Amino acid sequence: MYREFVTVLRREYLKWARVPIWVASSFVIPVLYLVLFGQAFDLDRLFPAGADGSDYVRAALLGAPNYFSYFAVGMVAFVTLTASLYSGTGILFDKQLGIHQRTVATPAPRSALFAGTLAFRAWSACWPAFLAFGVALAFADVPGLIGLSVRPSVSALGIAEVLVAEGLLALMFTALFLSFGYVLDSNEAYFGITSLLNLPILFTSNAMFPQATMPPWLQTVTAYNPASLAVNVMRQNLFATEGYPYPPTLYLLGLLAWAVALIALALYLSARSLRVR
Amino acid sequence: MTEAIAAEQLGKVYANGVEAVRAVDLSVAHGEIFGFLGPNGAGKTTLISMLTTLLRPTHGSARVEGVDVVERPEQVRRRIGLVFQRSTADEVLTGRENLEIAAGLNGLSPAESRPRIREVLERLDLTEAADRRVSTYSGGMRRRLEIGAGIVHDPGVLFLDEPTLGLDPQGRAGFWEYVRELRARHGMTIFLTTHYLDEADQLSDRVAIIDHGLVLKTGAPASLKEALGSDVVQVRPSDPNSGLRSVLERIPGVRAVEPAPVDAAIRVRVARAEAFVPAVVRACDAAGIELAAVETRKPSLDEVFLSVTGREYREETEGNPTNGPGSRARRAGGR
Repeated sequence: MYREFVTVLRREYLKWARVPIWVASSFVIPVLYLVLFGQAFDLDRLFPAGADGSDYVRAALLGAPNYFSYFAVGMVAFVTLTASLYSGTGILFDKQLGIHQRTVATPAPRSALFAGTLAFRAWSACWPAFLAFGVALAFADVPGLIGLSVRPSVSALGIAEVLVAEGLLALMFTALFLSFGYVLDSNEAYFGITSLLNLPILFTSNAMFPQATMPPWLQTVTAYNPASLAVNVMRQNLFATEGYPYPPTLYLLGLLAWAVALIALALYLSARSLRVR
Repeated sequence: MTEAIAAEQLGKVYANGVEAVRAVDLSVAHGEIFGFLGPNGAGKTTLISMLTTLLRPTHGSARVEGVDVVERPEQVRRRIGLVFQRSTADEVLTGRENLEIAAGLNGLSPAESRPRIREVLERLDLTEAADRRVSTYSGGMRRRLEIGAGIVHDPGVLFLDEPTLGLDPQGRAGFWEYVRELRARHGMTIFLTTHYLDEADQLSDRVAIIDHGLVLKTGAPASLKEALGSDVVQVRPSDPNSGLRSVLERIPGVRAVEPAPVDAAIRVRVARAEAFVPAVVRACDAAGIELAAVETRKPSLDEVFLSVTGREYREETEGNPTNGPGSRARRAGGR
């Protein structure tokens, strides 16, 4: 079981590492979001201190020192989403190239094949998010750029909670998009569905906009969006805990529920796609 | 356990009602090279898929090295190697890495697989190219790598599904050599499907001829040909209504006379074709029948196929379907 798991992990890694444009794009895209979008779109400039509504905007940021900081943490979740978007393409290509069938003919345990794929793809979705976070922090020291500022007293437990939230989010999104890979046979259908889901997941979360500024129906959706749950854990630990109805651990539990449900679904679909008919 | 592969009344009806394989009985001995010959769409891939646990039979049973393919598929998978029609290697990985992955998925540890991979690369003439990406490999090298992935875990039975599809004649001959060597060195049982007559003839100890999902004949190529008992002389008259058949039937030494599938020609089975041709020419001259062509043929598997199916064999190439029987079968049983 372990041997087959490591074999799948290694295959995924080699395929990833051998395509430099793939590696590069997953690291460049988050930086572009922060540099181009994050620097231009700044609620602090739209509502400068003293202007009408500026107090309301500041309050909605729930303790974040500025809008960019608020946004940058949201981007960590969004980058995780975009980096996991193509997780299922490997499955699709394997099916189309006959590699999937070759794998079925081996005695490798099905769960090991799935776990190896999930683990690598989730890992490769985490790194761009960490990079985005690091770049946003570094921006604070670059003259002319707005950067991410976190409170000076982030605890070790807080850091652990942030990492767990990121890990669960990556696992959850990866499982979701792997599921599409297992179910679908056509590339067009896959890319159609993923590009359809990408922005709704972002815009029904509080990654970019404070939940308090949304219409009530959207607030309800946003409250359950896994990206919001992860972002809530991160913002509470990095900025301030006030203004949130629940403590970080509860959001982590919600995220865990999402992850368990979607991983179970993906595991089932993976077993179904490997089943002999 | 006396047989490497055994099937009884094995069959597959797809969900859409197509009966791709009907009640196949099969028995392949250990160390045998067994060829499964039939036109495209005859049911070969469906059959090999059932024997390798990739498809569940709808009726009958099959055992590989004594293990039931339906009841214990995992145990069967441990005993077999499978080489597909298409290359299934990862293009961006090197040949060696591809073999390492294949070994790992078959449960071999790196320590177990390292010497094994070295040996396989050597045997398949891939040592020099081992650390190059597969995307730089030629068609023949890819086929060899594919075999390598199929034998890296040293299976007892190797299944090859149309292994030389798309290879040039030289590549095919080289491939046959590797297959023979595998059997000679390791006593591996080899089961291959092919739609190439010469491949089945030259490589196999025994062949089974399959058409429309049914095994029509099984035996050693030589004995199948001998069973026909004769050479063939095919005579084509200039005038299709010349009464040629009755003239030929009267010539001494004729064993059988039958219409050939094309151009109003007549086939005559005789002991030795070369000796018979002058008699044909004389008899036709005497009867005033003008001949357009006279051909002689030694019995081939083509003749065997004709005798069991009643029609000419066609070797179709992929992407070039003809209107022959094979394409009809492909529509009926195609996968």
